Amino acid sequence: MKRVTATALALTLAVAGVSAQDLGVLAPANLAKPRPKPALDITGTWFIDLGFPGSWRFGPPYPKLTPDAQKHFDAAQKARAEGKVYRDDIGQCWPAGVPLIMTRVWSISMVQLPTVVYMISGFMNSLRVVNMDGRPHTDPDLVVRTFNGDSIGRFEGDALVVDTTGFIDHHHWIDNGIPASDALHIVERIRLVDGGKKMQIEYTMTDPKSWEGEWKMTKQWNRVDSRDMEIAEVECLPDLNSHIPSTQSKENVR
Amino acid sequence: MKWLPAFVVATALAAPAFAHHSAAGIDRSKSVTLAGTVKQFGWQNPHSWMEVDVPNEAGVVTTWKVEMTSPAFLIRAGWKATTLKPGDKVSVKVFPLKGGEPGGLFQSVTLADGSTLTERAAAPRPAP
Repeated sequence: MKRVTATALALTLAVAGVSAQDLGVLAPANLAKPRPKPALDITGTWFIDLGFPGSWRFGPPYPKLTPDAQKHFDAAQKARAEGKVYRDDIGQCWPAGVPLIMTRVWSISMVQLPTVVYMISGFMNSLRVVNMDGRPHTDPDLVVRTFNGDSIGRFEGDALVVDTTGFIDHHHWIDNGIPASDALHIVERIRLVDGGKKMQIEYTMTDPKSWEGEWKMTKQWNRVDSRDMEIAEVECLPDLNSHIPSTQSKENVR
Repeated sequence: MKWLPAFVVATALAAPAFAHHSAAGIDRSKSVTLAGTVKQFGWQNPHSWMEVDVPNEAGVVTTWKVEMTSPAFLIRAGWKATTLKPGDKVSVKVFPLKGGEPGGLFQSVTLADGSTLTERAAAPRPAP
């Protein structure tokens, strides 16, 4: 039976003029490929568990920062002590980026298919695409660097492991005053707990341009099933901040 | 599970991060009450907002810009897109900007009929 399926798939690809390696994640022939049963299904809408230790922020505690990153961190601490905020780029409509987009206090919807996981944050509709069809990371010479990075996923035991590289190196922060660089590498081990009512992600982050060694932490989300927690269209439009006076105040340190 | 979204919302409103920006420019140590007329009401994601024309004792009108939370949160607190219309007489309580500019963070509004609205949803009910 498997031989018949493989033959049919090869014929379909030949007719379509697409090689098996070039199939997109939503190509029926890619979706139909035989695969092991997934260890978990994170399809659903999730909301950061603000009662979980560490909640929505990445640090403190912080790792030992590199001298360049330490300058930003010190400037942020100084601003905070003065009742100001340092480089609040999200407030100026720059994307939050991974990992911070995951813990914004907005719902995040996830759709898991055999070949891909789509994560759409209610915050600015930020999209993450986690390719699950066995492809490697995009060639470093070809990758378009982004705030959410280039993600590939695989199942390991009871976890979905997402590996992300290809980050952009400006206006992208892990926490206030801690910059992400183009060397940022994040591994997320995603598990469902409490009978699937909660999702935990264990983060392991390295960025030799910003800190030393591995930076680890775990976050938790609650499944939210009601209509009023669904994501909606949200954009940071050019005229938004003209109506939001605190984004223009002198307390924003650039 | 019915209580969960309301709990989540109540918790989110208590958190400092539901906004898309830092609130460092807001002075939360004091409130200002603005008696005036609605100029505009923006029912918009990620933030709603209103502009209120506020006359001083000499009759000189200053437009205050008031930032609010998202419509999703406001709906749970009893708001509608039509709650405020240009020309409505209102009394608006805000945390003002630190710098003294005419703007601030919304706390509550009292409408011409005497009713008051905030951004907070009603207290969650326990599951039956």
